[in-house]
Amino acid sequence: MTEVTPILTMSRVSKRFGATQALDDVSLTLYPGEIHAVVGENGAGKSTLIKIMTGIYGADSGSMVVVGEEVSPRNSAEAQLLGIAAMYQEPLIFPDLSVAENIFIGHQDRGRLVRWDAMYQDAAQILERLDLDIDPRMPAVGLTVANQQGVEIAKAISLEVRVLIMDEPTAALSAHEVDRLFQQVRSLRDSGVSVLFISHRLDEVFELADRITVLRDGRHISTRTVAEVTEESLIREMVGRDPSDFFAWSDRPRGEVVLRVESLTRRGVFEDVSFQVSEGEILGFAGLVGAGRTDVGLALFGVSPADSGSVELDGIPVELESPRDALELGIAYLSEDRRQLGLSLPQSVTSNITLATLPRYTSSIGLLNAPAERQDAGSLAEELTIRTPSLATPVSQLSGGNQQKTMLAKWLNTNPRVLILDEPTRGIDVGAKTDVHHLIDELARSGIAIIVISSDLPEVLAMSDRVLVMREGRVRGVFDRDEATQERVMTAAVGTV
Amino acid sequence: MSDSVDTVLSPSRSARWMKPDRIKELTLVGIITASVLVFSLLIDNYLSGRFFNRITTSVVIVAILAAAQTLVLITRNIDLSVGSIVGVAAYLTGDFLGANNWAGPLIAVLVAMLIGAVLGSFNGVLVAYGRVPAIIVTLGTLALFRTMLSLYAGGQNITADSLPDWVLDLNRVTVVSIGGLDLRLVFLIAILVFVVLQWALARLRSGRRLYAIGSNPEAAKQAGLPEQRLVFWAFVGSGALAGLAGFMFLARIGTISATAGAGLELESVAAAVVGGVSIFGGSGTMVGALLGATLIETLELSLVRVPQVSEFWRDALLGILILAGVLLDFTLHKRLGRRLTAAARTDAGGSPPTTIGARRRAGKGSSDA
Repeated sequence: MTEVTPILTMSRVSKRFGATQALDDVSLTLYPGEIHAVVGENGAGKSTLIKIMTGIYGADSGSMVVVGEEVSPRNSAEAQLLGIAAMYQEPLIFPDLSVAENIFIGHQDRGRLVRWDAMYQDAAQILERLDLDIDPRMPAVGLTVANQQGVEIAKAISLEVRVLIMDEPTAALSAHEVDRLFQQVRSLRDSGVSVLFISHRLDEVFELADRITVLRDGRHISTRTVAEVTEESLIREMVGRDPSDFFAWSDRPRGEVVLRVESLTRRGVFEDVSFQVSEGEILGFAGLVGAGRTDVGLALFGVSPADSGSVELDGIPVELESPRDALELGIAYLSEDRRQLGLSLPQSVTSNITLATLPRYTSSIGLLNAPAERQDAGSLAEELTIRTPSLATPVSQLSGGNQQKTMLAKWLNTNPRVLILDEPTRGIDVGAKTDVHHLIDELARSGIAIIVISSDLPEVLAMSDRVLVMREGRVRGVFDRDEATQERVMTAAVGTV
Repeated sequence: MSDSVDTVLSPSRSARWMKPDRIKELTLVGIITASVLVFSLLIDNYLSGRFFNRITTSVVIVAILAAAQTLVLITRNIDLSVGSIVGVAAYLTGDFLGANNWAGPLIAVLVAMLIGAVLGSFNGVLVAYGRVPAIIVTLGTLALFRTMLSLYAGGQNITADSLPDWVLDLNRVTVVSIGGLDLRLVFLIAILVFVVLQWALARLRSGRRLYAIGSNPEAAKQAGLPEQRLVFWAFVGSGALAGLAGFMFLARIGTISATAGAGLELESVAAAVVGGVSIFGGSGTMVGALLGATLIETLELSLVRVPQVSEFWRDALLGILILAGVLLDFTLHKRLGRRLTAAARTDAGGSPPTTIGARRRAGKGSSDA
């Protein structure tokens, strides 16, 4: 294999975002006619790596060589000209244009005039090669996700790409569609294309890949042929940070069961989810992105209610049809997306903290009691050590960690019994992370039942008294703290056979 | 009988669906025909050559502005300054012709279009390169161009007698006359403009790319389309067409004040939207815009002759038409998408997507992603 000239070589590439070292000295070589899988936990650096390859990000250091020539594409169009194209879980198509135009629109070499007949013919030929029965004249708006991906592969073929990057392409496909996609990928490989395949599903990786690279925490861990690895060895390499680096867990007093969830189901989203949380307990929700954890959180907060199943609060069955129901019963949910859903960025710290509890500050004629608002906001800000020039400062000017604390303050102000924290430390720096971890611990000690949803496995393991693992909408295991090793949790999360 | 059974069992590929744009255009032709029939029952002597001539001459300005608007709407932008550009172009061209009596029609048209193009390029730079939303930019230039015109005019009007005679005669120049139906020069010019634009949008690579940009800007960027340059030129084109409309306005009215053409921007949006041009970008044709302008003009000119309908209701009707157009566009798109999806699924002969697939689609935005 080594005497073949590589198509693409990434050498010692590093990339940093703020406090996060997303890629640290990573090297990767792609040969013609191979399917190369890249695996790793969420945040291992897979996305950053492919974004550098496709010119969306520039690397801080390191080099990228395409067929012997050093390059640094500045955007995806330039990467395409070098023969590097990417397709994602949600294909990027032009819904109003015909299938044929979707395949050929970006091409530089077809002259000023559109030759419709020739274009339809060429498109039909490529689609037939891919065993896709799609009329190239049809607008792309009606295509299934699988067929949209077929169109993207057709585009790659027509571009004569040398490297095709596929980022989680199977996430939205049925088993039958996955089989066909794999056939198409193999035929691409056999024609000499190098395919970089990213998937969370290890069974797919083993079925398809020739070589497998493991990334962890932005670092390259190993690259081996598929014969040299086992699922166990892969998982061992994917995990590996020590949870105690994060947070020194110590026993907390636990009280009565506060929340009991029985066979909660939302059709097509999650199924038969049962668990319980007690006063003072931290229950971790582990799993891969897309496993349905956030959906369970949203169901409990009444945003998208479950279809069936029961929820008991302090032993009393409750209905959760809206966030208002949930808040009245004492369930609060801290969204993973604080910029979009959690905070009103242009408004002040005070306004954000009192947003969910405005009726408390409203007099009978509908006027707000501003001093009372400021007082409560002030004491919460102090309690949570929110660093801000003043309480009137717009939240947009705060750092990520302090925004997160502001959001936490908003929900604490509702005096919750159950607090659901969705990715509470995403995108905040290490120091602030530790702060948030200690806050969560203190809140649990004050008797609140806490659910922490986190894709950061060491973090969940460090914080939680028990860990619940979800995969594809179902609970795949609940581990007590002393049984919850990274290997066990990861195995349940990726579902190896 | 057996034939039809056969076609039902094995429909040919092209029969299974029709391009959304064609459906919209045919619907409009149907609506125009139906409303003409209704009016001919309500109004005596409605179907006369004179009325045809009136509609074809008066539709010209709105139609060309609808074309200008379509060019921009396709790219998911909007040009609200076309009414002001009409005013500026009409006034300045009138001024120019008053001072330069030697200039002929061709030069006058070029001057008007150049003025429009310059103003349009101002919009284009701000939208395409400055990344300011088009609705803000053109709302600003709507006022800005008008104010500059008022300052320049200083209360003076362009009067008909300052213009060369050929300007005002232009509107009555008939190229051919068939029975009582005159085909006027201005109408034929408009038709020519539409033929060229329809061809350009369907056959020029850059024309198709305008659709691509409006259909999915993110994907257009990824595909490496020169989106900034194309959006810029769409605004320049829109401005130039508005300049042409300004010249026609001058030829039709003769007396131009600083408020000339005010309000035409709304009619241009109305005509384009009623004509099936999507305000969400990516879809719509020049033929559709022309049909939309024709429908609006026909209704306006016909309703004047129905005594039971007050002027108040005629304005309301324009508003209702816009809403109906947008609504139709929206529902058509949604239903068409669904039907095509269903067709594609049976084509593939595949199993329905598993719960995972369904979850991905249903849980968009609420999944862990």
